[in-house]
Amino acid sequence: MSDNSLNNLPGGFKGMSHDMGSDQTAFKGVQWGKVMMWIFLLSDTFIFSCFLISYMKGRTSTVVDWPNTSEVFSLHVGGVPVPLLLIAIMTFVLITSSGTMALAVKYGYEKNRKMCGWLILATAIGGLTFVGMQVFEWSKLIHEGVRPWENPFGAKQFGSFFFMITGFHGTHVSIGVIFLFIYARKVFRGDFDNGKRGFFTTMKSDYVAIEILGLYWHFVDLVWVFIFAFFYLW
Amino acid sequence: MSDEYNQKNAPLEAQSSDTISGTSGTPSKDIDYVRPAELPEQDLYHGHSFITKWIFCQDAKIIGVQYFLTAVFTGIVGLVLSWLMRLQLGYPDLVPFITAEHYYQFVTMHGMIMVVYFLTALFLGGFGNYLIPLMVGARDMVFPYVNMVSFWMFFIAVCVLMASFFVPGGPTGAGWTLYPPQAILPGTPGSNMGIILMLVSLSLFVIGFTMGGLNYIITILQARTRGMTLMRMPLTIWGIFTATALAMLAFPALLVSCIMMTLDKMLETSFFMPTIVQAGEVLDYGGGSPVLFQHLFWFFGHPEVYIVALPAFGIVSDLISVHARKNIFGYRMMVWAIVGIGGLSFFVWAHHMYVSGMNPWFGFFFATTTLIIAVPTALKVYNWIITLFRANIRMNTVMLFCLGFIVTFVNGGITGIFLGNVAVDIPLSDTYFVIAHFHMVMGIAPLMVIMGAVYHWFPLVTGRMLSEKLGKWHFWFTFLGAYSIYFPMHYLGFIGVPRRYFEMYDSPYVASATGLNEFITLAALIVGFSQLIFIYNIVSSLSIGKPAGKNPWKANSLEWLTPEVPPAHGNWGEKLPVIHRWPYDFNVPGAKEDYITQTTPPSEVISAEVEKT
Amino acid sequence: MHPGIIFLGVVVGSVLFHIYTPWWWTDIASNWGAMDDTINLTFWIGGGVFILVCLFMVYCVFKFSYKEGRKVEYKPEDHKLEKILTIATTVGVIALLAPGLIVYNNYINTPKNALQVEVNAWQWGWQYRLPGEDGILGTAQVAKISDNNPFGINLDDPNGKDDILIEDDVLHLKTNRPVKILLRSLDVLHNYYVPQFRAKMDAIPGIITYYWFEPNKIGEYEVLCAEYCGVGHYAMRAKVIVESEYNYKSWINEQETFSDLIAKQENNKLKKILIVKNND
Repeated sequence: MSDNSLNNLPGGFKGMSHDMGSDQTAFKGVQWGKVMMWIFLLSDTFIFSCFLISYMKGRTSTVVDWPNTSEVFSLHVGGVPVPLLLIAIMTFVLITSSGTMALAVKYGYEKNRKMCGWLILATAIGGLTFVGMQVFEWSKLIHEGVRPWENPFGAKQFGSFFFMITGFHGTHVSIGVIFLFIYARKVFRGDFDNGKRGFFTTMKSDYVAIEILGLYWHFVDLVWVFIFAFFYLW
Repeated sequence: MSDEYNQKNAPLEAQSSDTISGTSGTPSKDIDYVRPAELPEQDLYHGHSFITKWIFCQDAKIIGVQYFLTAVFTGIVGLVLSWLMRLQLGYPDLVPFITAEHYYQFVTMHGMIMVVYFLTALFLGGFGNYLIPLMVGARDMVFPYVNMVSFWMFFIAVCVLMASFFVPGGPTGAGWTLYPPQAILPGTPGSNMGIILMLVSLSLFVIGFTMGGLNYIITILQARTRGMTLMRMPLTIWGIFTATALAMLAFPALLVSCIMMTLDKMLETSFFMPTIVQAGEVLDYGGGSPVLFQHLFWFFGHPEVYIVALPAFGIVSDLISVHARKNIFGYRMMVWAIVGIGGLSFFVWAHHMYVSGMNPWFGFFFATTTLIIAVPTALKVYNWIITLFRANIRMNTVMLFCLGFIVTFVNGGITGIFLGNVAVDIPLSDTYFVIAHFHMVMGIAPLMVIMGAVYHWFPLVTGRMLSEKLGKWHFWFTFLGAYSIYFPMHYLGFIGVPRRYFEMYDSPYVASATGLNEFITLAALIVGFSQLIFIYNIVSSLSIGKPAGKNPWKANSLEWLTPEVPPAHGNWGEKLPVIHRWPYDFNVPGAKEDYITQTTPPSEVISAEVEKT
Repeated sequence: MHPGIIFLGVVVGSVLFHIYTPWWWTDIASNWGAMDDTINLTFWIGGGVFILVCLFMVYCVFKFSYKEGRKVEYKPEDHKLEKILTIATTVGVIALLAPGLIVYNNYINTPKNALQVEVNAWQWGWQYRLPGEDGILGTAQVAKISDNNPFGINLDDPNGKDDILIEDDVLHLKTNRPVKILLRSLDVLHNYYVPQFRAKMDAIPGIITYYWFEPNKIGEYEVLCAEYCGVGHYAMRAKVIVESEYNYKSWINEQETFSDLIAKQENNKLKKILIVKNND
């Protein structure tokens, strides 16, 4: 179409304000679901920020000393405590799963059903591994006597904040994993190729849904980087 | 965006540009030209049975009415609670069953219900759902299913809240601010089940609201009809949009503080709990910070004020413009004021905490930001009254409520300047001055708008007019009554009467206020009962009201221009409307009628000298 | 009746109410007259704006009531007017804010010669601790509170030994000497508020907050708790007696210090042991 209105817009900052203020859509060519995910993630960012800021406030104002994190989180390999070992693996797995997710989105847009489906499954398994290792770490700490209400190594807020924030993040990962499995099934069944309508919605399925799920997944990873930095490196 | 997307829509765009290019051939020279549609038509789920049509309904208009009725129900509960409080304050010991415990439970539930479950749900859930798709020219919200779930989450939240009246120990009596440590310690009524249910209910409310809020924002941003630019949206939409954006960013803080306090209560973590000695025993808590909760709470709580106020600002602007038959003065400034107030509202929260024991140096910063916010707010007031200047004012019930809003809002806004200015706040904070201020500014003023809006949009929703005569009685009782409750109440604050006092005893300087307290109680009862006029008016007009017909107020905005009144599911019949102008073209020089609707193309009103919008 | 008349009545009524109201400030008894002045300033500017806005509104309502075919002004925007209004409002706001901030600056900077008074709050009552001759309060911890040590003073801190303990809710102060109130709470939030002194601040468990004032009028004043603290909040009263230097001295000399208290307890313990021994 020569008169394609999406291609005839001014560029630069002026173009941006022109787009935003124009009729119909503020973000040209961006699907509703994608905008929804972005705004939801913005809201979710505020949730995690509130958690992490509360954590910083709690950690700096407690009267009892904070436990030495490199000792508390260390793993004994052959009798030698190795700090950050488990957490490094966890982080590595999660970041890798972000990579597979990005590839899944790419293959999705290329309508490569098989690759897309397998990569989503790989992402889901990565997420599952992460949650599994988190369960291991929780049970290790619980075994050592750390509880939300007490902590043998120092300030009791350590346990409270650790379980609350990693738990909240773990819930996010788990929800993501569930959706990844559902979407993998949908991809393999071909829902996104033939535009089948979803269970709860009258809208046609589209590969953009994979990208939207990907946004969520990358966000969960990004949050983990902050949690990692504030809990394990500080 | 990827190319597939454009290709997919190409046939549709071709189709629609056929229809608009009309007779003149080259679209760019046609004065009626509007860009072709970018998006395909929305598929809607049409309910078949009673349940899918009226109960689990995906039509935003029905959801709006559901929100409205649920919110009004909780509001009536809140109103009755306020009577009980006032009876105790005006006539202590008159009602034997009001003990101090009950009094504090009434205070708490009244506050929480009115702020969150009544006003927020009513403005955003009620008016938002009903008006957004209609006013921006969409068929429905963008995610109708999620929208439905949003209402039912809200409904469950209300049920949990109401359930707390019936659990052992009763509802929480922690004050609506729920400050720890007191909220979860035995010295406060309802500190077991009551507070837990309150926190759970709030969390559910936040989750439900997030679902609705995403819908409102994305419908406004991405689902407007052709020609509906941002600067052609009615101010109602701007108000609701900004308020929803605030809610999306402010409610997280509430959710986080609710989660943390629930853990403090149930798992005995110590997020907000320092070492405490109660009744001679050292409790198991230690090391937490009560002030942290206050920061989180008010980071939610202050934007919450504007979540209630901004939709009211928007709606009242539209009502004034329609009934004064004149464009709203300084539309662009009104928009920027709404957005500016919304943005600033995230930087003023600690003005609720001047005497809370936070670092005293914060006082300078927050006093400054708070008074800065007074500037855009004052400009909005000026613009409302300038709109009335040289207008043609219909003195009907809607306009009366708008005028009532201006008086109460200016009054409450100015007492806000007292409380925002830190040195002035110190003697007045935690006294009745504060109560009078916030009831005037975010109780009565938004209520005036809600009632005006009901009189204004009732014909749209039901197809029948409300009785003007009853409406005027209702207005005068409500406005004069409410004003005589809260205006004198400021003076109780000057005397130094602290808030949340079950009884004043015989404090020497308070004895003089007994008569005033009795007067306020009587006024409160009268105002409360006069709402029966309103309810009667609504119920009777449903069957005997004058049929409204199309566009009874001769308004310009899109919601009045649906093919059917009341609008059907899908709103617009076959074709979506096309917008050619802003909604405020009243009394344009050169035009035949005193209004030009948004869908009127320029070629039909050639002689009108319309300013470019 | 034209509705404009009633709105006019509301404005006039508000002004008259303000002029003739019998309900006004308690007489000030501290140095914070400046707070009253800023309130007055805000009242004049704010009240003026309220009256002007409402009168303009009433004028419009009278003048431009609906008439078929009335000529209506069509002016969507007027940048000059908007600019003037913005600037005028900003100037007004600065005029209100600047004095407020100056007063606040005085409020948070305590004078050097201020007498320290520690206020202990709990559900639902008050007690006080004053520094002894050394002028320094000993450190204290809530967790150390017991029947023998009602303020939780650290026993190893020598500064605490001569602290004067007042296990009663009546506090005496002398006139014309600044007082720094240090607030501690054992359980929940409280607020030590005397309306006549204008000043207030929350007491928060876990930290010590402060404010200061200079009582300048002899008399008895009621203390009210001004932060909701549970079901007994409304009953949480106390008394402050402001008196002359002479009376104050004689009052303070009658009070018990922490070492007196310990000595008394030791005595009691010895007595008890003696009694037990005698009984054997």
